[in-house]
Order: sequence, then structure tokens, then C-alpha cells
Amino acid sequence: MQSFELIRPESVKDAIGAQSERSAFIGGGTTLVDLMKLGVMQPDHVVDTNRLGLDEIEALDDGRLKIGARVSNSRLAIDARVERDYPVLSQALLSGASTGLRNMATTAGNVMQRTRCPYFRDPAKPCNKREPGTGCSAMDGINRNHAVLGTSEHCIATHPSDMCVAMAAIGATVVVEGRKGTREIPFEDFHLLPGDHPEREHDLRSDELITHVVLDAPLEGAVSTYLKLRDRASYEFALASCAAIVTLEGTKVTAARIALGGVATKPWRAVDAEAALVGEEATAKMFEQVALLAFQRAMPLEHNAFKVELGQQAIARALRDAVQQASQGEHQ
Amino acid sequence: MADATLDATVGHVDPDDTSSLQTIELTVNGQTHTLTLEPNVVLLDALRERLNLTGAKKGCDHGQCGACTVVIDGRAMNSCLLLAALAEGQDITTIEGLADEDGTLHPIQQAFLEHDAYQCGYCTAGQMMMATSILNDKDIAKDPASIKEAMSGNICRCGAYKNILDAVQSAHRTIEGA
Amino acid sequence: MSETLNTQKPRIDGALKLSGGADYTADINLDGQLYGYPVGSAIASGELEGLELEEALGMPGVVDIFHHDNFDRTLKHSPNSFAEKNTVSEPRLPFEDTTIHYHGQYIALVVADTFEHARAAAQKVKGKYRANDQVISQFDELDADNVAGLPGVLQEGDGQSRGEADTAFDAAEVTLDHHYSIATETHAAMELHASTATWSGDHLTVYESTQGVVFQRHALSHVFSMPPEQINVISHFIGSGFGGKLFMWPHAIMTAVASRRLKRPVKTVVPRQSVFTSAGSRPRSIQRVRLGARADGTLTSIRHDGSNETAFVGMHNDTVISATPSMYACENVSVTNRVGEVNHGMPCPMRAPGEAPGLFALETAMDELAWQLEMDPVELRKKNFAERDPASDLPWSSNHLIECWDNAAKRFGWENRTAEIGAMREGDEIIGYGMASQSWEAMRLQCSARVTFLSDGRLQVSCGTQDIGTGTYTIVAQTASELSGVPIEDIDVRLGDSSLPSGPLSGGSFATATVLPAVKAALDAATQALIDKVTQDGQAFSDVDSGSIELSDRALTYGDRSIPVTTLLEELGIGQVTAEASAEPGDEQSEYSFRSFGAVFVEVRWDPGISRLKVERIVSTIDIGRAINPMTARNQVEGGLVMGLGMALFEQTEYDKSGYLYNANLADYIVPVHADIPPIDVELLDYPDYHLNAFGARGVGEIGLTGIAAAISNAVYHATGKRIRDLPISIERLLMAN
Repeated sequence: MQSFELIRPESVKDAIGAQSERSAFIGGGTTLVDLMKLGVMQPDHVVDTNRLGLDEIEALDDGRLKIGARVSNSRLAIDARVERDYPVLSQALLSGASTGLRNMATTAGNVMQRTRCPYFRDPAKPCNKREPGTGCSAMDGINRNHAVLGTSEHCIATHPSDMCVAMAAIGATVVVEGRKGTREIPFEDFHLLPGDHPEREHDLRSDELITHVVLDAPLEGAVSTYLKLRDRASYEFALASCAAIVTLEGTKVTAARIALGGVATKPWRAVDAEAALVGEEATAKMFEQVALLAFQRAMPLEHNAFKVELGQQAIARALRDAVQQASQGEHQ
Repeated sequence: MADATLDATVGHVDPDDTSSLQTIELTVNGQTHTLTLEPNVVLLDALRERLNLTGAKKGCDHGQCGACTVVIDGRAMNSCLLLAALAEGQDITTIEGLADEDGTLHPIQQAFLEHDAYQCGYCTAGQMMMATSILNDKDIAKDPASIKEAMSGNICRCGAYKNILDAVQSAHRTIEGA
Repeated sequence: MSETLNTQKPRIDGALKLSGGADYTADINLDGQLYGYPVGSAIASGELEGLELEEALGMPGVVDIFHHDNFDRTLKHSPNSFAEKNTVSEPRLPFEDTTIHYHGQYIALVVADTFEHARAAAQKVKGKYRANDQVISQFDELDADNVAGLPGVLQEGDGQSRGEADTAFDAAEVTLDHHYSIATETHAAMELHASTATWSGDHLTVYESTQGVVFQRHALSHVFSMPPEQINVISHFIGSGFGGKLFMWPHAIMTAVASRRLKRPVKTVVPRQSVFTSAGSRPRSIQRVRLGARADGTLTSIRHDGSNETAFVGMHNDTVISATPSMYACENVSVTNRVGEVNHGMPCPMRAPGEAPGLFALETAMDELAWQLEMDPVELRKKNFAERDPASDLPWSSNHLIECWDNAAKRFGWENRTAEIGAMREGDEIIGYGMASQSWEAMRLQCSARVTFLSDGRLQVSCGTQDIGTGTYTIVAQTASELSGVPIEDIDVRLGDSSLPSGPLSGGSFATATVLPAVKAALDAATQALIDKVTQDGQAFSDVDSGSIELSDRALTYGDRSIPVTTLLEELGIGQVTAEASAEPGDEQSEYSFRSFGAVFVEVRWDPGISRLKVERIVSTIDIGRAINPMTARNQVEGGLVMGLGMALFEQTEYDKSGYLYNANLADYIVPVHADIPPIDVELLDYPDYHLNAFGARGVGEIGLTGIAAAISNAVYHATGKRIRDLPISIERLLMAN
């Protein structure tokens, strides 16, 4: 970890004023300190956000939930409103990382979490995301943990977050503040596909700070599940995960939100699968069919081809488990 | 290999520049220590190399093993990923502060002793600090599955997991019964 | 013997470990110490043409950088001899030449005033390489050009055969011929390797995380051309090693050289990535097992051919076939092992070397044979039980394997197994049962120890072995307490210091069987020294036959006369009486065959809808002779089973085509965590093996890890019908297998 100057502003305005091309905000530090130790991120200035407040969870009049950037993953997961209205988010949060890391990690920090691709994490290796134009080591290297959806010829790195998968399914807005004022970015537009510029990971300008994430109002009568599949039972990033939210009328699906983790370069909405499911009978067979649609455009590589089938399994099972709750009267 | 990002940093580093040194106060186990250090010192290294509080251990240095777990304002955290300066003003408890001042072991320490909940002992401080935090957390259930899930960020390569679970449950009963 | 031995005692070092007071190597901070931080090669094969050092040398706090061009040319290779106790892990000296043999090979050591400064500067040291086009990132059975169909060079010394295995195989009524493999695994002990060196004149003290202080002292003595007496290696507490810390690694030499040149203590804590690349692994191995049997299950031929990878920097034979000749009564057996070089860091023994991979193959093959024969897997094994060791044709010193099979089967509920694939279900899950035999050779080596009676009544026991978490401190105290009558809390045990009487490595499950007889010999000698004094003219027992005086309840007694040891020391006006003695194995080694045995049964749950496999419970019955402390012994077995769960399902050190070690960290190298751990039921049989030593103990560190991977793979087959012969049994292997 190189040396840097630590700046500890007391207001959002000062924090934004302190930000530059060669600085980084720090919240819990679980991504930034990790990557600074590896030499992957080497900011000259680290701007601390821990004195900025931004730690409230607030129910808005329009039914949305406004989450402060600094609310820890632990606290968000057990917030009564989250547990009641967005259980899929609570489940996703609790499936991520470990108790200790969740106690540190913040909401904004999790949104800004960076890929776990080992080639990205080693400055000695070519990586288009870390060092544009040097090439992608994973393409011809080991790519078991890498994405099959949303990839480009320049980058196949997986977005690692569980929280973001749930937020993608729920629908949310990222509120940012910069020198030019406040912007609201729809969650689905916040993270960028790698395309020709894998180094650009999000729609955040260099002077901007995430202040809040606002969750869309919950779907009336929805049932949901977050299912995470991985090698060991805990403390591991997803090989495939699915956040499924469904509303039903009798046995017919009236609305569906399906988001995927572990298989894509950003928190991934399976919109084709969602569209195909709406209006259909909620049967296991139908879930398996729409799951196929979600991976129609998958681009598997040498070691990650299994993620296509595993991802389909995650969707089918998450939908089934969610719908089973409905039949057991567990929905709110 | 050429590294554009790394090279760009060069001009910003002045070897003689000591202005980044800062003086902070850390409150560890009820005692306040004044330290002058650079901002890139993490709490784990500050405890171990500056304060000689070596109970918290370095197993990975990247939040991947839990050996460095300490309790900060009542919550277990990975001290290897926490900049020491950001812990200023917070109440830090390490394994050295777990027993009573008269040496009476904390119930979790007593339970670890009785259940042989360790082998090499290297992850043990982290396991116990995490366990104390979990036992104090009303939002974490205390059935075996919930304890195991909550403790999963603390790796024990010796594989003493069964005894650790037994010890945590035993300490829970002790604390509840007290 | 019964009060203190074979009873559950909390560890005597427990209070230190539980308070943060135990001094592991990296915990020792010496006045004026500097910090070393290594730099590893970015490539796996080629030449190091130079280093960019200028920027790093100019960074704050940097004192020096050690590398090929400025390294000490006076260093010599250790002879690397086990018999002479100077084995090293990697024979090549650090920075010896500029050839790169593996990713992560040390190319520099940065030394600075703080850890942070050393790390920051190390990130700025860049190697300039000429990479080889050809990198051997793994060997492949397709390369093989020999009858076994395996790569590598045949290791003549390992070949064993009896009867006519080929002919018997060809004539067998039922045959089986399969290849098995295990991935490279890494020990991944929680404690990072660490070394602190400090020189005082021409004396070197090294604080090292090692499983062998004596070995490291001797190795250093050769490397630095110094008498061993001028070197001391200290390792009071070790954050375990699992074999990875048996023998010295290059970081210790780098650190000692830096300390000598800079005239200050230097502390190097090896970063986790370098521990993966440059401090050992269990090498990948490929095995071919051919079994021939009669229709009733009688084995008529066993052919087991293995091959393991080694590094270009050194030879490591993992002897995966080591247990096979002894496992079953079969007249026709042949085993071979091969070794082939790859561009990886040096492999070394890892917990249950040989047996853990070997029994995975053999015990999976036995399960396959049972299915072919439509026979119960336990019955098949019983049918082939070896009444004596068929390899040596010696009687077993003690063998209760049949009781292991029976007890474990009963505790497990094996009778509920349906002999049909995928027939047992619950909800989404399919249940599978599997079992395997377990075995580990029981060894005993030469050992010295010292016992001192102190004037305050305490007893001090010293031995140059270590406690890596197995409980050596505690069982030495238990033994001394039992034999002397001194309460266990009044016994001081000193280990982990090479200046103490020479003790064994902490490895191979031989420390207990080796150390305890030496403790007894030293106590007897110290007692005799007391007796010699008390029977001198003018002393209390000058009138009695010294042969009839006994030590009992902290006193020397003769008939109804008794004199406390403390009184005696006071009357003699001496502070202490001390004696050193040695013990070594004898003729019994050629009269008996010594092995430990066990049986392990596993239930797995397979949810095919989401390709989720989990181990639901494990039951094991183990025959290790006598457990000196059943609490710590059981913990060892449970730990072995947990590591075996990891070996079976998760663990693989991955090298990409360029030889790059891809998952050199604890997030990507997957080991079991709390949530993976099922209920584990371990039963320790208690049949003391007095042929091996007076305590009946055979040692317990390795055996838990043997057989478990096969039991899991066999249970997976029972549940899924998928026979996964390559470890780990990963999700993709389960998904893709037919």
C-alpha cells in the first residue's frame, strides 16, 4: 500500500471539494484498503466519508425507502422495514461476505465494489480494466469465476455484489452529489457493461459522491427469494445467484423481477425471462423455460460453461421457492 | 511490465515528505494510546507492531480469514482492512482486553478452554472476538446453523470447528444463565 | 498408569493461547528490528534479466534491497539429508542464479524501517524478464509413454511387488481399471510463515514458524558454514503447519543474510500470496488403480501406479502408493510411483502425505469393485482383511480395523443404506452413503529430553520438539506428572528451542510415540541422580539399597521411609537436579508392523435441481493405540476429517497455462468454513500398542485425513450415480458428469 494523504471532511460539500482524479472515497474500506494493499488502487488522497452522517434509513412518502450511503450492510439487513418490504435484499446482504466484513461495509461501498477477478487484482498481470489496452488475462487463463453474460472481448470480470443483485431486482435509484449538484441515476444505468472500456465501471463522475440509494416502493403482495450457489456454504462469492420477486393472481404470474449475480459483468436483470413469465402459470416447467431465455446470449468460455446451467437452475429454484411462499401464505 | 497507473503515481511521491504523518489517539481495552503514524497503517499493524498487542493475528491481510477480528464499538470487524486513523474515537476491544482485570476468564475463553476449541491457537483470538460480538447481538439467532453461518468468516484451518461451535453454545448458556 | 494419562485434560498452554499471550513468531518484536518484504517473480519460467530498483531504494524508510546481484556468495547448500536432520524444502538458495522456475520465486527482499514502508517499496520493485515460450504448467497423462500410462520418471525405490499382479489381473473373474487424480493442494496454515533473525557476534538466533527447530538449525549451519552451537532456532508457538513448515524455506535464509549485513534484527512475515507460491503444496497426482477379484470378492490382484508433480527446483516424491501394499490381504500386488517436473513452487509433505491421495484412489476403487460385485462395501473390505501386514509379512503390533468398520457402521446406521443409486430421498435432496478405510503408518524415532527437579517443587521437562497445535505441551506434562507424581500444574514444559535436547519434527504423527519415551528416560535419569545423592554417606538413604528407592508422590521412598524431593534439594544445598537422556526404537521395529487404522462413514445430500452437494454427517472410529489425551486426540481426528472434506469438495491450487498461480489467497483457494461442518462423531478405540512404546500411543495427526475423500466420493456415487474420480468434486464436475 503506497502512502497517501487522508482527508476527513465534516460535510458532503467538503468531501466533494476534496475529491479529485487521484483520490478515492473511503467508507468501510473493505474494497479500497484491500485493493490499495495489492497496489491495484493507488490514490494520492483518501477522502473519508465517515463524518458525513448519511447513516439514516428513511421511509419516503411515496412508499420508497431511502438508504444513507454509510448504512452498514449488517444494519441494512436487519432493518425492520427492509425485512418486511424487501426480504430479498436482507437475504442477499446476509449471504454476502462475513459478519465482520458486513459490519464494516457500507451501502455505497457495496455499490462501488470491484470485481474479484484475480488477474485484475494482481498488478503484474495484463488487465484491460485496471490498465486499458494491456489485454485480458482471464480470456485465455482461468475463467471459472468469470461472467457469461454482458461480457466483451476486452473483459469478462464478474460483478461480485449480492446486495446489488437484490437492488437490481427491487429497482432503485442511486443519488449522487457533485460540484454541479445532485443527480439521480436509475440503478440499472449505474453500472456499465465493459464493452470497449472495461475501466469505466459506473456512471459516476470523478467529483461525485453517492449519498443515498433509494429503493423503489415494494410490489404489492410480492413474494421473493435470494438464492446463492457457490462451492462452500458461506463466505464465498456467488458462482450463480438469483433474486426473484413475483406477484401472482391465483396461479398466474402478474409481475416478475429476476436479477442475477455471479454470472454477469454487472448486476443483471433477466428481462427476457421476466417478460416471458408474466401472464403464465407459475409452474416448475415454466420456470425452467424462462430460465433458458435468461442465458440465450451467454458467452461461455473454457472454465465457466457450467454457469449457464447453474444460473438456469438458480432462476428456476428461486422462482419456485418464492412462489411456494405464496402458496403457504407467507407473502405480505 | 509497464503500468500506466503506477507510473502516474511516481511524480506525486516525495520521499522526504513526512507531512503525511499524523497523530491519532486509539482507545484499546479502555486505555488511550497516542500514536504518530502514516495514514496507510491499518489497525491490525498498529496494534501488533506499534502497541505490541499481538493477540490479533495476521492470516491473510485481506479480509479473507478473520484472524484479525477485533470488536469496535460492540461490533466485530476485520482489523486488517480498517485504517488505524479511522478507528480513532472508537472503543476497540482486543483479546488482551477480554478477561477481567483480575485474570478471570471471560465466559467465551473459559468455554474455549473446556471444549478444546482450538488447536494451534492462531485463529483463536479472532474466533473468540467474533463469538463475543455474536453473543451480544440480539439479531443473530443462537441455534447451531445460525452460529455457524455468523462465524463463517473466521477460518480455522486446524478444523476445530465442532469444538468451537460447542464452546460458543456453551458460553451462550453461561451468559444467558448469569 | 491411568490417573493422568488417557484422560481429558485442558491444554496447559490454553491460558496463553486464549489471552493473546502465546508468542508466535510474528508476535516477537525485537528492539531496532527492520522489516523484510519479499518480491516474487511475475513469470513462471525464464530468465530474470534485471530489476528496477531505483524508485524503491529512494522510498521512505527503505534500508536495503537484497537480490541476485548483491547476495551473499559465501552461502552453501544444505546437504538436504533427513538422516542428518538438515532437510530443506527448496534446495536452491534464494537469488542463487537468475533462472526463474516458478511464479512467485523470490527475486528480491526489500528491508525497511516499518512494515508499511517495506511493502510500499516492494510494490515498486519490478523484474525484467525473458520469458520462456514453453511453460510446463501441469503434466498430463497424455504425455505418458510407459506401461502405467502415467507421466514422470519411475522412482525405483518405491516399487514393491509380491506375486504376479499382471498375470492375476488378466486371469481375474472381475476386474477394474481406472485413473484417479487429485489437484494440487496448499497447506494454508492460518499462521503466515515468518522468520526473525538477529545476530550477536557470530551467534545467530532465528525465530521461525517451524515444525522442526532442530532441522532448521542444522540446515542453517550448513548454509552459513557455522557450527550448529552458534545457531539457535526458536518456535514456541506455531500457527500450525500441516507439513508446510517441516523444513526450511528460502525466506529464512534471505532474512538471516539481511540481518547479518544490516547488523539489526530483521523480521519477515511472508505475505499470503507468497505462502501459496513459495512455501509448499501437496502436489497434484494422477493414479491408476487396477483391481482383480474373484466373484466372491476375494482380491486376486492389486496394481497401483502413481505419479506426482514436482518442481524444477527440487525433487519431491509424494509416494501416493505407500499404504497400498499393506491395506488388504492379496497375494499379487504391484505398486510404482513416478515424479515429473513442472513450473511450480516446490511441493512438500502435506498432512498424511501419500496416504491421503493414495487411499482416495484405492478406497474409491474398492467401492467401485463392490458395486461391480453387487457386494456391500464393508463386507468386501472384511473379506480382504489382512491378518498380518502382507507387505512385510510381519504380525501387526495391534490391529482393530474390523472393530473400526463394525463400530462406525453401527453408529452411522449403515444398515439403513439401500444398495441402489439415488433411492434415498428427502425433499429436494438425494441422500448418499459412503465409507472407506483409513490408515497411517505408526513411526517412532530417536529423541532426547531433559528433566529437572527444581527446589520449589516444580518439575521442568525440556525437549527440542514443537507443539504445532496437536497438544504436545500438554501430553508431555501429563506424562511427566503421571510418572513423577508432580501435579500437572507444577510441571513446566519447554519446547520449540533448538538449544534443548534434540527432539523430532512435529509431523508424520510420530512426535508422541517418539517424545514420551524420552521424557520417561530423562525422568528416570534425573530420579537416579537424586537417588545417587540421597544414598551418599551422611545422607538420608545412605543405608539402603539404591535399587529399591522409588519416586512417588514427589518424594523418594523406601519402604515406609520417605523424603520429599524439595527437602532433599534443600538439605543438599543445591537448587536443582537435572538429567538428560535419550530413547530410541529397538528390535520391535523388525518384529512387528505398526499402523493405525480407522473407518469413516459419510452421508451426503445432493440437490440436483441446484447442483448443491453437502456433507450431512461424518462418523469415524479410529484405532491409534492409546490416546494420551483423548480430548486433544479427538480434536486432531476431527480436524483431519474437516481438511478431508475440503480436499474432497473444494481445494485446488490452480495454475493457468502460463504457470501463473491463480488463486494464491484465502478467498479463491476454498477451504471449509464453519457453515460447511456437519455433525462429526469420532470414536477413539483404546487398545494401547505397547509394542511401539511403554505408553501404547501411536500418534494421531494424520489418520483423520485418510480415507475421508474416498468416503465422500463413494457417497456421492451412491446419491448421484456419478463417479467422480478427480478431486475436488466440484460443482462443474458434478454438473458435467454423466
